[in-house]
Amino acid sequence: MKNTKMHLSTRTMNLDFVRKVEALSGSSVRRCFQCGKCSAGCPMRSFMEHPPNRIVRLLQLGQYERVLAGRSIWYCASCETCSTRCPNKVDLAAIMDALRKCSWDAKGPSKESYVQLANRLFIDNIRSYGRQYEMRLGAVFNIKSGQFLKDLMLGPKLLSKGKLKVFQQKNRNIAEVEKIFSRIEEMRRKGEAP
Amino acid sequence: MTPKNVLNYSYYPGCSLHASAIEFDASTRGLFKTLRIGLHEVPDWLCCGATPAHNVDELLSLSLCAKNLELSGKVEGDLAVACAACFSRLKTAQHKLAENGEKRRQVEQAIDAPVQLGKPVKHLLEIVARDFGLERLAAAVRKPLAGLKVACYYGCLLTRPPEVSELDDSEAPTIMERVIAAAGAETVAWSHRMECCGANFTLSRPGVVIKLSGDILASAKAAGADCLMVACPLCHGNLDIRQQEIEEASGERYNLPVFYVTQLLGLACGVAAGKLGFESMIVSPAGLLKEKQLL
Ligand code: SF4
Ligand code: SF4
Repeated sequence: MKNTKMHLSTRTMNLDFVRKVEALSGSSVRRCFQCGKCSAGCPMRSFMEHPPNRIVRLLQLGQYERVLAGRSIWYCASCETCSTRCPNKVDLAAIMDALRKCSWDAKGPSKESYVQLANRLFIDNIRSYGRQYEMRLGAVFNIKSGQFLKDLMLGPKLLSKGKLKVFQQKNRNIAEVEKIFSRIEEMRRKGEAP
Repeated sequence: MTPKNVLNYSYYPGCSLHASAIEFDASTRGLFKTLRIGLHEVPDWLCCGATPAHNVDELLSLSLCAKNLELSGKVEGDLAVACAACFSRLKTAQHKLAENGEKRRQVEQAIDAPVQLGKPVKHLLEIVARDFGLERLAAAVRKPLAGLKVACYYGCLLTRPPEVSELDDSEAPTIMERVIAAAGAETVAWSHRMECCGANFTLSRPGVVIKLSGDILASAKAAGADCLMVACPLCHGNLDIRQQEIEEASGERYNLPVFYVTQLLGLACGVAAGKLGFESMIVSPAGLLKEKQLL
C-alpha cells in the first residue's frame, strides 16, 4: 500500500462515507489545510503507515478504502495530542474513533484490530458487572486472541501485590447498567441513534 | 472529637482504584484525611468506560458518564476524581453534552433521566493546588521531601484538550511540579513529561508500551530523576508493572519507583507509611526512601 500510486477515481471516492465519519465524530474534515502539526506530535506516528494528516487528506478526497486498509487507525492511542494542537479545530482523535467504528462494523475483527477486541471485552465487563474486573479481562483477552501464555508471569506478581481482584466488584446499580445498554440497542434498531 | 473538615467533596474513585491501583486510593484517602478534606464516595458508581468505551461506542461512553454524574448528585460537594482517565471521560461528557443538544437528547433517552451537568468535576491536583491551596499544603508538611528528585509525568489525559480539562496549560503545565515542590521535593526538567506511555495498548500490544514507556523512563533517568510521579493508573501500570520487561528489552537498568502524587504528598504530610501502599509497587521504593531518610 505504502508505495503504490494513488489514483483518484469515483469508484474509491465515497463522500457518503466521509459524511458518516463527520456525523459520528462531530468534526469537520474539510477544515484541514495540511499543516502536519497533528502528525508531528503523534506518539504513534512510527507505527502508522498513514500519519494522521494523511488520513484527513484521504478523507477529504473520499478515499475510504485506503483509510480503512492497514493499521493506522488501530495504532492511534487516543492521546488527543492532534486534536489539542490542530490550528483548525479538526478533532482528529474523534475522527479516529469514528473510523474504528466504521471499520469494525464493515469488516469485523482482524489481527490489526486486536486493541478493539480488548476494548470490546472491557465493555462486556461493564455490562456484566457494572465495573471492571481486570483479571477476567486479561484472561479472556488471551483466550480470544489465541495468546494463551501472554503475560503469564505478570499474573502472580500482581496477585501477590493485591493488585488483581479474584472476585468482581459488586454493584447494586447493575440493573440500571443493563437498561442503558438495551436502550441504546433499541435506539439503534429504530435508527434513533448513530 | 474529630476536627471538622475544611473542605468536602463527593468522590469518584473509578475501577482501577479498587483493583490495580489500590495504593492510589489508599494514599488519596490517607492524604485527604490528614489535610481534613472530606471525601464521600458516590454510592454504587459505575465504570466510566475509560478509553475503550469511546473507541467502540461514543453514545455508550457519554451515557455511562452521564449516569455517574447523576449518581454523584446524591452526595454533596464538587466531584473529586483521582484517575486521569476517569477525569478526562467525565469532563469530556460534561463538555460534549453541554455543547451538543442532539447528543444530549440521545443520552437522556439512554439513561431515561435528564442529564445533570451542574456539578464541577475536579481532579485531585486541582483540589490540592487551588481549593486547598499551596500555602496551606506547605504548612501541612511534616517531613519535607528534601533531596528527592522527582520527574513529574502528566501523560495524555490530564491536560488535553485544554478547553475540556481546564486543569493547566496543555503544552507547558506546571501543576504537578508546583504541588510537589510545596512538599519540599526537587523537580527535574525533562523531555517526556507529556509523551504517551502507550496507554490502552497494554493488553493488546505490549510491544508498543515497551517502546513508548521505555523512552519515558530513559528520559527521566537521563535528567537525573530518582523517581517518577503520576496521576493515572494506566501510566502507572505501564511504567511500574512493565518496567522490568522494559529493562530486559533495552538492556538498561532504570530502577525508577513510580509514585502516585498522593503517595508522595501523603509521606510529606505525615500519613503513616503503612497507609500509603508502598508495598504494592512493583519497583520497590524502599531503598530510595531510606537513602533520602524519608522512611
Ligand atoms: S493539525 Fe489540523 S490542520 Fe494541520 S494537518 Fe492536522 S488536521 Fe490538518
Ligand atoms: S490521538 Fe491518535 S492520532 Fe492523535 S496524536 Fe494521539 S495517537 Fe496520534
